[in-house]
This record gives sequence, structure tokens and C-alpha cells, in this order.
Amino acid sequence: MGYVGQRLIQAVFVLWVVATLCFLMFRLMPGDPTLNYIDTSMTEEQRQNMLVAFGLDQPLYVQYLIYLKNLLRGELGNSFLQGRPVLELVLEALPLTVALTLSALIVAYIFGVIAGAFLAWKRGSLTEGVAIPLVLATRAAPEFWLGMILLAIFAFGYGWFPSGGAASAGAEYGSEWERLFSLDFLYHLLLPALALAVYLQGLPLLLMRSTMLEVMQDEFVTMARMKGLSEWTIVIRHAARNALLPVATAFALGIGGSVGGNVVVETVFSWPGLGRMLVTAVQGSDYPLAQGAFLIIAAVLVLMNLVADLLYGWLDPRVSHGRKG
Amino acid sequence: MRRRDLIQGTAIAAALAAGGLGARGAAAQQAGDPIRKLVILSRPQSNNPQAYQAAEIIAQEWRKLGLDVEIRPLPRQQQSEVVWNRRQEWDMTMWQMVGRPERSDPDELVFNLFHSSTAPTGFNFVGWADPEYDRLAEAQRVETNPDRRREIIRAAQERVNQGQPYLFLVHPKQVHAFNKAQLREGTLVNQAGLGLRNIWTYLGVEPVGNRRDMVLNASEPVQAIHPLWISGATDSWVTELVWDRIMRIGPDGLPRPWAAETVTQVDPTTIDITIRQGMKFHDGSPVTVDDCIFSFEAPAIGNEVPMYRPFVLNIAKVEKTGDRSFRITLKQADAGFFTSSLAKLNIIQKSAWEPVLRDYQNRPENIERFVVERPIGSGPFKVSRARLSEEIVLERNADHWAAPKIERWILRIVQNVEATLGMLNRGEINFLADYTGDPDLVKQLVSRNRNIVMNEAVDVGFQFLGWNMRRPPFNDPAFRRALSAAVNRELMAEAAWNGFAEPANSHVSPALPFWHREGIVGMLPSGLDQAQRILQEAGYRVVNGRLHYPAGTREQTTPN
Repeated sequence: MGYVGQRLIQAVFVLWVVATLCFLMFRLMPGDPTLNYIDTSMTEEQRQNMLVAFGLDQPLYVQYLIYLKNLLRGELGNSFLQGRPVLELVLEALPLTVALTLSALIVAYIFGVIAGAFLAWKRGSLTEGVAIPLVLATRAAPEFWLGMILLAIFAFGYGWFPSGGAASAGAEYGSEWERLFSLDFLYHLLLPALALAVYLQGLPLLLMRSTMLEVMQDEFVTMARMKGLSEWTIVIRHAARNALLPVATAFALGIGGSVGGNVVVETVFSWPGLGRMLVTAVQGSDYPLAQGAFLIIAAVLVLMNLVADLLYGWLDPRVSHGRKG
Repeated sequence: MRRRDLIQGTAIAAALAAGGLGARGAAAQQAGDPIRKLVILSRPQSNNPQAYQAAEIIAQEWRKLGLDVEIRPLPRQQQSEVVWNRRQEWDMTMWQMVGRPERSDPDELVFNLFHSSTAPTGFNFVGWADPEYDRLAEAQRVETNPDRRREIIRAAQERVNQGQPYLFLVHPKQVHAFNKAQLREGTLVNQAGLGLRNIWTYLGVEPVGNRRDMVLNASEPVQAIHPLWISGATDSWVTELVWDRIMRIGPDGLPRPWAAETVTQVDPTTIDITIRQGMKFHDGSPVTVDDCIFSFEAPAIGNEVPMYRPFVLNIAKVEKTGDRSFRITLKQADAGFFTSSLAKLNIIQKSAWEPVLRDYQNRPENIERFVVERPIGSGPFKVSRARLSEEIVLERNADHWAAPKIERWILRIVQNVEATLGMLNRGEINFLADYTGDPDLVKQLVSRNRNIVMNEAVDVGFQFLGWNMRRPPFNDPAFRRALSAAVNRELMAEAAWNGFAEPANSHVSPALPFWHREGIVGMLPSGLDQAQRILQEAGYRVVNGRLHYPAGTREQTTPN
């Protein structure tokens, strides 16, 4: 069996483990979805009827078997709270999360790579002395804090950007694509993407810098210097290209991690993405929706891990993945 | 006075307690077991700062009486699970009743909160059982003469004051704000107990300038737009605009005919209704008497419509009496029927819903699982677009006999409370409809932006601490009364709610002056000395700074 085949089997196994954990985690948590409907007129009969309607009257193992059977058929079930198919809800929120994540990641990694290379080049200078603590501070700062600061300055203060949402109130579009590529959407995307990018840029920057510092010690760099190439040419054309490998891997993993990790930014900016949906689902014990959202996030993460592994092997043929040559 | 002042007062009051109960003769010999540590369940401070701070103030006061009190923050789901499903296992919980139009009639709260029949599995989770209260709650339900009913409801409030089944804290004030540069001041309507966020505002508000829309916020996503499912509080804001009802609760808090031209109470169990002429559903089909009759019959079919079923259970029959009229016969007189049923049930299309109901009778799930793809009502607004976790857009129904003046009603889901103020300031929303943050921030905004107008109104709902009367010492009315007396509600309203609340001692809000027992707050003894006196008279003793049960009483309850 080839390397790719092995990795695919591993990926399926990981997804099964995640699916099982998701199933157990939500059912072992205190409470059930009927608690969302506690009301003065609610009776025990109503509550029991609700449990039957949600299939929660069945023994746990029966629920689990039904869940696995549905998963194999590609069915994630219907949301308890909204009644609609989970896949439909997730696919509705996913483009917004992907748009936010990708734009932030691209900005963060472009900036991180360039700034990381620059700081490696400027090692020991005053610029590095100021920049590194600043980068560490933005990396360590909570996302919600960064988001609120940006909102306070650029939305509430100067009024340059909207205070939240993915489109202006009442804006109408012919299709989701039309909306995603509208100026109004981009205008709403800028501030949350910036907040996320400021948070994300620390990793590629520090990674690029440290790898660059290693690469700059390599013999081929010394050779380039001996050839009389300019320092800038050495840094950009020779060293940086060789230092990009771990950054590319981090980028792939970053996509996977960020799809589920935007909960805070999405909440601060009222961005109707997957992360915010996940929070609502967990708070409301909406098991199918929470399971489905987690599973899709996990699938993206596993897929990106796989891509990173394959990418690594492709970018650097020295990486053998344990294969015997 | 704020919390800081309270903390400073602790030492003084502790000295008072020591010199009062603690020093009384041979207290130790006359005392029972020390009272166990008592636990107050509360939402975390980050989640509900007011309730948590109120719990802190309460605990602080009670420690002065010699009680060991712990506040245990729990997420909402977990708190609800313990309180609702494990009724023997908790001591006290912070809780709230929120204001809703149908709570303008006191029946829902008077009966369901405290009638002993709802104690085992219903809303009487504190487990209060008082035969005299039960009698009053049942009597008000069948008394159709308003004046006589008012006397019964006032007597019920006095009974609650005696028994203190809840430690009532405050009736919070609803804080709403709007932009008068976009919405004409004076055209928004203040509804009793609800403030500006009500249908009368949406119908009457006049746009100013180019923007013809009302844009408001909600902090929770909408779950569904469904005429046969009460799926959430925010959802109800939408459904009441899309579907008409026979009656509506007016700005004065009383039910008034809406889709009905007349509603006549022929006798205590017979109601004649004539519907308006020319009403149409949003698809252009007429609203008929058959649709109205079906709307009352549908919730009673099997268990398909569990949320609305309780509101039609008292209906014996519904008969057509003419092209525009029908008669409802009740099994027994029901004073709250106009509010709890006629003003609550949505008028739905029989032709659309009858087959769906029939289909769902053969399924394990009920009709709440049915996804309404195209919500069709006959109400003053039509659904234009619904992204449930992002934005709901309703457009005016120009054919409606009470057509709104705004073109669109746009509900934006904004979970970041601080951002809503920024949105209001920048004109992204023009009506702050759902605000749970610090009201002082809204005041500050009003002082900075001259276009913003703030409105506050006492809520029909209330904040309270529920104590579990299944567990001693809360089964002792004297103990409850003493602990209730120890809490300074004026201070509570100032410290925890920043002055945006009124002291409470009743489940019927002063926002409903016809039903509210005036002066009920003053009927409760107030102050630490009063609390100590009540405890002393009931036999409780302080020994070595710790409050003990009366002589001979053993502590047999396990701390939770």
C-alpha cells in the first residue's frame, strides 16, 4: 500500500475517533436540548415528547449506531433547534468562515514571511529589538481584545469600517457568490480579517526568522557571498526560498486550525460563520449541529495535515517519510 | 450606594450580629445543629454580571446572620439541568422571569409559578405547596369579573408575601434607544411592561429621511420562523409580525380585538368572534373562518403541536356560526383565555397546514420538525429573506388593514453587546431593541450623540432567588422571611442594576398597575435587625458566630 493510501486510512481512523468523541462529549455534558424550552407552561409530557422527537429516549449505544450509520451515508442529521439539515446549515456558514480565514491567513503569511526574513537579516539591530517584543505581544494578546481595540478605533472612533456583520443591513444579492465578491462584503470583511491577521502573523514571522537564521549559516549562502551577490539577493533569492518550507507546512495547518478557531473573532465582529454557529450549538445542546460542525472542522484539519505532509515531501525530496530508498 | 459601601458596612453589621443573637444567654444549649453550608447557583459573572453581583450582595448580608454561604457559578445549561431535573439536590438558584406580551395577564405567572400541581415537574421548581394559595390561583382563573379577579390576584400576592416562596429582588427596567434622525420621535409606542420593543412600535413608527427601514438588533440568533412552534424569545418577535391573531395585547397591557372585528363573551364559557372583512394571507388567498377554526383545533391534534397545546386544552368545541363568525365553547370559565389563547395562537392557512399535520401524525417526530420554507401568514409584515443567524428581513404588507409605515423591518443578529452601541452610534442600526449591557453606557452615548433617544420602562418580568423548599431550612416560612428581610432591595437595584430596576416583592409587576398589589414591597420587614428578630422568634440561634437550627432540629440534608 502506498504512502498516500496509508495516510488516508490514518485520516479515516482519526475522523472516526473524533466522531465518537464528539458523540460522547455532548451526551455526557450536563443538560439536554429540552432545557432550552423551559417555560412556565412546559409540562413533563411535553419534555418527554421532545426527547422522543430528538431520538434521545433511545439507549446511548442505539443512538451511537444510528449516528455512525447516518455518517456512513453522509447524513449529519437535522439540527435540534432549527430543524434544518446540519449539512445545509454548515455549508451556509462555511463560505463566510473560509473567506475570513483565508484572507487573514494570506495577509498574515505574506507579511510574516517578508517581515521574518527582514528581521533575520537585521539580527541584532534596534529594529529587531523593537519588532520582536511587539510581535510576541500581538501573538500573546487575546483575540477578543485585539478585535475590540480595532473596533473601538476604526469603527466606533473613526467610523471607517462597519461595527459588525458580513453585509449592510438589508443588502440583497442574487446569489451567495455575488455576495462574497461584492464590495460591501469586502468592506465588512476587512476589519475582522485584519484582527485575525494581526493575531496570526506572529507564527510565520517567528518561524521564518528562526529558519532564516539557520539557513543563513549554510554553506551555499557563504558561497553566494563569495560570489559577490548583494545581501538582498542572497536573502530573498537564496535564503528565503530555502527557509519557506516549514512556513508552507504551517500555512496548511493554519487553514485547518483557523476554520474552527475563529470563534472569538466571529463573535466580536458578529460574523455569521462556523465558529459562531458552533458556540450557539454547544450552548443550546444542539447535538447534531455541534457534532456536524466539529466533524467538518476536524475533517478540514485532518485534510490539511495530509496536504502538509504531502507538500513537505514534494517541496523537499529529502523528506522520505520513513520509506526505504 | 454601591457595592463598595456595602463591603465597608460588613464589619459594623458583623458586630451587630455578635451583640444581638450571639450574645443571647445560653444560646448554645437552646440551639439545634448548625445549618450546613448553603449554596447559591448562579450564572457566571461574565455571562450575567447583574445576577452574579446580586448573589454576592445577598451572600454578604446572610453571612452577617451567621450563615455559611457559597456562590457556585454554572453555565446556563448546567444550572437549568440541576434546577429542573434534580429537584432535591440544590439549595438556592438565581433565576429570572422575562417580560412577554402574554404575561400582561397575570394568570400565567400566578398559576404556573406557585400552584402545587406544577411542583413535581413543572415551573414550581422551588416546590412551594400552600393550599390557600392554590385556592386563590384557581379562583382567579375562573373569575371573569375583572374587579373581583383583581381582588383575588392581590390576595394571592399578599399570600406570596407571607410565604416568600421566592426572594424577589427587582423588576429590571428595559432599556431601549433609537435614532430620531431616522425614526420619528413620538411615533414609537411604550407598551406596559415591555417598553418600546413591541408590535405597536413597528406598526406606528414613521421613518425620517431617505432610509425607510427600521433596523434593530437581537443578541440571540433566530431558530425558526414557525407558526406552530415557540422556538425562542427572539423568534417570537418575528412570528407575531408575520401571523395575525384574533386578539393582541394592547399598549395598555390588556387584550383587544385584532383580526377579530368583535370578541364577545356571551357567558363565562362562551365566546363569539367575528373576523374582519377582506383579510388576506401573503399569497393573496383570503383568511376565512375555517382557517381561524383550524388554527384553534390544530394544536389539540395528538401531540403534534406541544408548545401551543396547553392553550387550547380548555376548548370544548369551536363552531362556525356565519361567513365571518365562529363560537368558542370552553370546558370551564377561563379569565386569562383572551390573553393566553386568543392573543397567542397564530392564524394559519388550513389548506397549507392540514396535510402537513396529517403527514406528521404518522411520523415519530412532531410538527415542530417541519421546516417552513415559505412562511405565509396574514400579518402586517411579510418575510422577505431570512438568514437565521445573521439577518431577518420583513417587508411591509401594504394590503394589511394596519399596514406599517416603514418599508422593511430588519433584524440584525449581533452577539457582541458593545458593538450594538457602536452600530447605533454610527447609524448601522436605528433601534437598540435588545441590550443586556451596562445602561450607563447608553446614557453616555445619548449625551454624546444628540440623535439618540433612550427609553426605560419597568419590566413585566423580575429577577429573583429561588430557594428549594424541599430542603430544610427553606421549608420554614420564618427562615425564608428572615432571609428575605435581610436583603436591601433598594441597594440591590442601585448596586447590581445601576439604578435601572425597581425593588420587587411580588410576581405581578408594577408595570401592570391594575393587577399589582400596591405597597407590597413595604409589607416585608426590612433590615438586618428585623431578620435577626424573626430568626430569634422562630428559635434559630447564633452559636460561635454560626447560625443554628431551633432546639431539637438536626441537620439531615447533605450539602449540594
